[in-house]
Amino acid sequence: MSKPKKEPIKNGKLWIIFGILFALINPWYFPEGSYQPLFWGIPYWALIIIAASLLLSAFISYVIKYQWQLEEEEEKKEAK
Amino acid sequence: MELAFAGWSGILILLMYGAIMLGVGVATYWKNRNVHESLDEYYLGGRGLGVMVLFFTFFATQYSGNTVIGYPPTAYRMGYEYLVSVPYFILIIMVYLLFAPRMYLMGKKYKLLTPVDWIEKRFKSKPVSILAAILMLYALGNYLLEQFVAIGQGVAGLTGGTIPYQVGVVFFIVIMLIYGWLGGMRSVAYTDTMQGIALLFGVFMLLIGSIIYFGGLPNAADYMQAYSPEKLGVPDGPGAVNWFSLLVLVGIGAAVYPHAIQRIFSAKSEKTLKKSFTQMAWMPFLTAGVVFIVGIIGIAAFPDLSTAESEKLVGMLASAIANQHVIFYWAMVLLFGGVIAAIVSTADSVLLTFSSIVSNDLYGRYINPKASENKKILVGKLVGVAAVVLLVIIAWFPPATLYQIFVLKFELLIQVAPAIILGLYWNRLHPKAVFTGMLVGTVLASFMTFANITPLGIFSGLWGLLVNLLICVIGSLFMSVSVAEKEEADQVVGM
Repeated sequence: MSKPKKEPIKNGKLWIIFGILFALINPWYFPEGSYQPLFWGIPYWALIIIAASLLLSAFISYVIKYQWQLEEEEEKKEAK
Repeated sequence: MELAFAGWSGILILLMYGAIMLGVGVATYWKNRNVHESLDEYYLGGRGLGVMVLFFTFFATQYSGNTVIGYPPTAYRMGYEYLVSVPYFILIIMVYLLFAPRMYLMGKKYKLLTPVDWIEKRFKSKPVSILAAILMLYALGNYLLEQFVAIGQGVAGLTGGTIPYQVGVVFFIVIMLIYGWLGGMRSVAYTDTMQGIALLFGVFMLLIGSIIYFGGLPNAADYMQAYSPEKLGVPDGPGAVNWFSLLVLVGIGAAVYPHAIQRIFSAKSEKTLKKSFTQMAWMPFLTAGVVFIVGIIGIAAFPDLSTAESEKLVGMLASAIANQHVIFYWAMVLLFGGVIAAIVSTADSVLLTFSSIVSNDLYGRYINPKASENKKILVGKLVGVAAVVLLVIIAWFPPATLYQIFVLKFELLIQVAPAIILGLYWNRLHPKAVFTGMLVGTVLASFMTFANITPLGIFSGLWGLLVNLLICVIGSLFMSVSVAEKEEADQVVGM
């Protein structure tokens, strides 16, 4: 039984999450000019942006692994 | 740039790097001596690049010597606002997810060689293909020019005037031409791997050295709190808009780099491509993130530099670190060698794609379609060499006026994006609308760049893209595509 074909662009839900993550990696939701508290010398807002960026990378990895499945099965068969 | 470690040790490292590149390139050629008989073999490495090599060759398209030399000074001047450089590299991979899965499939199905090949397949329109080819060649040429200027600066810094820097530049360009000429994509991709490793090693040593000798981020934060709190603070309105435009422009622009698209076609399998992309999604933290921290540390290490002085920040940090310990001395020599290697690795990728568009899309399609593949490759290589010679001359004798025409890059490349990406999914997209959109977008973006107009603080390239996209969509909705054309498009993109 082969897995069903999946293409990221056809899955609207993924792009809603990408949209939310995109909003989170832009610093519009912090008060302008603020930087306290600092952690290890890094302003709080920069840490939040980094955390959001890590989430974006993690989500991209998830989508690549589980939501992108066009040729792999056939290529596996070809290889056999 | 005056470096404490410049001189004979620099020359030694440059010779060593040059010898390794040449060795890797020639060895690859030796193993695949039939590469000149087939465009696929020469330009795409026979569509058989494995995960690691594919990863490093993607890496070379995104990160260059400029990432190491140019980013820290920007972080130095802008402070935490330049943290944007981390997410924008991640966003490139997100944009890939919009089109790479299907692009890979199309590449395999139709044996596509270049992005222009795809545009031709999809629209079957000579004006669209030629305009796209010209835009790509022009942008690639400017990109190459930028790399040559950077090699010159790097070599000058590392050899400290021991030899004229022109000798160094010619040395590396000749090596690049030799291995590129011999082995094509395989040589380029394998040398990219060696060059990428050299760069990563150097950057990490620079970070470690900076932290040991100048104190880490807390130290920099104390300094900024006292003297320039705006560098720590959340960006203000225009800063946030700038952040947003950078994300979008770089995210889309770098994803549709012609040499990046070509690498999608070179992947051995979908699985290989997926693995390489996954690794790329995490790289920004190790590259852009690390050089960003180096720039921030520089704020406290070398306070109050003017803009011109700050451009030399990495050289100053490296010199200071090299003076502290012999291990760091050699690490910094390796770093600067790695920077030059990284520039060469970006330049070779760009040059190969440049040649492939000439071989396949101009010469092969319109001038002499009956030529053998061997001859098409030869023409592409020769035009590539001619372009390199011309660009080196321009790099050494920059014209006093009109220099601006050599900076257009992203602004032009991004105008090809609607044809490439929208064309993959929308069967009604009309060739005439695509052509008009591309042309108007290009003219508008170029004009706005020259006139330095950025309404609402958003970059000219994005305004061009917006108008381009509107023309594509509205034009296609108004112009009817004949049933036959629509069916043909369905056949190409339908799945």
